[in-house]
Amino acid sequence: MKRVVALAGRPNTGKTTLFNALTGLRHRAANFAGCTVEKASGALRGADSDVEVVDLPGTFSMVPQTEDEQVSFRFLSECADSNDDFLVLCVAEASNLENDLVLPAGLKAAGYPVALAVNMIDEARLNGVKLDAAELSGRLSMPVALVSARTGEGVDKLDALMAPPPLRADLSEALDFRRATKKRLHELQDEALATAAAAAAASVTWPHRSVLPVVARAIRIDRVLLHPVIGPVMLTATMFAVFQALFVGAAPVMDALSSLLGSLSDLLRARLPEGALASLLCDGAIPGISAVVVFVPQIAILFTMIGFLEQSGYLPRAGAMVDRALRPFGLDGRVFIPFLSSFACAIPGVMAARTIHSEKRRIVTILLAPLMTCSARIPVYTLLITAFVPETFRPLGFNGQGVVMAGMYAFGVALALLLALALKFTALHELHPAPATVLPPYRIPSAREMFRYVWARCWHFLSRAGRVIFTLSLILWALAAFPRDAARLSPLEAELAAVRASSPADPALEKSLQGRIAAARIEGSVLGRAGRLIEPVFRPLGWDWRVSIASLSALAAREVFVGTLGTIYALGGESDASEGLISALREARNADGTKRYGLATAVSLLIFFAIALQCMSTIVTVRRETGSLRIPALQFSFLFGLAYALAFAGYRLTLALL
Amino acid sequence: MTLDSVPLDVPVRVLGYAGLASFDKDRLSGLGLRPGVAVTKILKTPLQDPIECLVGTQLLAIEARLLPHIRVEAAI
Repeated sequence: MKRVVALAGRPNTGKTTLFNALTGLRHRAANFAGCTVEKASGALRGADSDVEVVDLPGTFSMVPQTEDEQVSFRFLSECADSNDDFLVLCVAEASNLENDLVLPAGLKAAGYPVALAVNMIDEARLNGVKLDAAELSGRLSMPVALVSARTGEGVDKLDALMAPPPLRADLSEALDFRRATKKRLHELQDEALATAAAAAAASVTWPHRSVLPVVARAIRIDRVLLHPVIGPVMLTATMFAVFQALFVGAAPVMDALSSLLGSLSDLLRARLPEGALASLLCDGAIPGISAVVVFVPQIAILFTMIGFLEQSGYLPRAGAMVDRALRPFGLDGRVFIPFLSSFACAIPGVMAARTIHSEKRRIVTILLAPLMTCSARIPVYTLLITAFVPETFRPLGFNGQGVVMAGMYAFGVALALLLALALKFTALHELHPAPATVLPPYRIPSAREMFRYVWARCWHFLSRAGRVIFTLSLILWALAAFPRDAARLSPLEAELAAVRASSPADPALEKSLQGRIAAARIEGSVLGRAGRLIEPVFRPLGWDWRVSIASLSALAAREVFVGTLGTIYALGGESDASEGLISALREARNADGTKRYGLATAVSLLIFFAIALQCMSTIVTVRRETGSLRIPALQFSFLFGLAYALAFAGYRLTLALL
Repeated sequence: MTLDSVPLDVPVRVLGYAGLASFDKDRLSGLGLRPGVAVTKILKTPLQDPIECLVGTQLLAIEARLLPHIRVEAAI
């Protein structure tokens, strides 16, 4: 008979550490049905194990308030309805039993089969707390094991508790939390409080100190880290380190991966005959793989930093420090890390929103995170600012181009805060989802736990978002590669063949021809035709068909805009296209001799790229993280509409002012 | 007296809540801030809100707006 073991408990009891110790790396992540709450489940370690362990979201009491808590209780009732055998393994912190015993006592009173793992027994020993497991087991009428998930102490004792029994537990009398009234839940909570207090009083011997040593140490550290002056300085330094690690630490690995895949592409291109297969592999499949794996270093670094901050106990304190400043916008301190991460890339930012317990707050964070200026926007901003903001523009003596770049960062933050303010008036607003937060004791993070945490996040991204991003990359390649405009391409290809055969070689002419062929290909493709078709839509923003195509292709990733525009302007290789493209954009003229682009077009493009969700990988990640198609669809449509409207306003205003 | 009027580092005992929304009451109770529990205000975070408090054996960061609604008495 299959057995489901649900790990339940308050946050910060080491529940996830115990889950990892029980399942190893063999767990998978999905969402609970119909919500963004993550469900981690895995087989109990042991090859022939028929026990599925599920890590439930943290639960503070028997009266569920947040979506996470409701999901936990709903899952318990669904398990009671199913035919599987079922056990709730409650996890309690050994030094905080009076609070942590409420849930197991309540669930037992509600008719559920419950066992108790008293975790962090090693820390309790340091605190001088003594526990009588037999007494506790007798008082609560459930099996009890004393464990330390961090060190592995006592974890093997849990195996006997979790082995499938020959008969299913009788759950006919179990309370259905989906239909229970608030009154009944409050009664259960009061009953559980009394049981927990009595059980803790009878089975725990406290040291003769007013404050436990680990708590006293935490207070001493907090007096420094939350000091009115030192606190903000430390927070700024920490966030600066996170930001630097994301940019500086990830960049070489990302470059190496891109370079490796680029070399592979070049190698294949040289070996394979020119044609659809070579293009599929070199322009579709390899860039598709690159679009996935290139994000892994950033995700790994970000979650290493977040994991360290979270496990050390600093993360909730960092959140508490900025909480007050974000509250007027309907946000709280927990959105800080996801927003900060999004400056590197929206994908880790969206994934970092998992640390937010409230579902509504998590969705708001996911909706707004892509507005932070990610690194993919930098090439686009650099191109447009360098091309159209005059070097002579020096406000207050500062470099004007630098000021505009800084302004783009500020624009993203300001817009996110304004939209957060607007979302306060929607159903997504949740009043004070966390009026109080637990500040856990400071702990030294375990390397093994950190590895598991980072691995789980990276694997989650590769396995869930990666497949879709890769598939969409292939679709975009097909749209940009077909149909082939033979009438335009054949003479150019013949000319290229002649140049290649001529002696001496003319690399400049060869490169120019390759660029013209690439431009002809994209112009004749479905994407190119779509660009011309949608030109009237973007004309009010001052864009011509070339910019429209580049913007369409930037759906794959924002930075593709630069490459596509370079290709269209027949400049060939992207690496040295930058300078050429800047002057090409500056000098481009219409048939009547007027300038094709001016400052107004640049303003509209900058505004559009600052707002629009021009990133397929982010859209897919939002889809995966929210478990909903509606949320990314709404997010994309809304941000696109807003980007269009503000870009239009910016274009007209600039034209009027010039 | 209420918790907002208690100076830092002075231990008190929770008597109950006054005029607190049921959501906040349930939340605080779930976190362990219940009648009978010993509370000590430890420090104000840099923006003066939330306030770090020692509640029983754990540390909580509590929004300042809640403190006037928590009735306390001097701990013996």
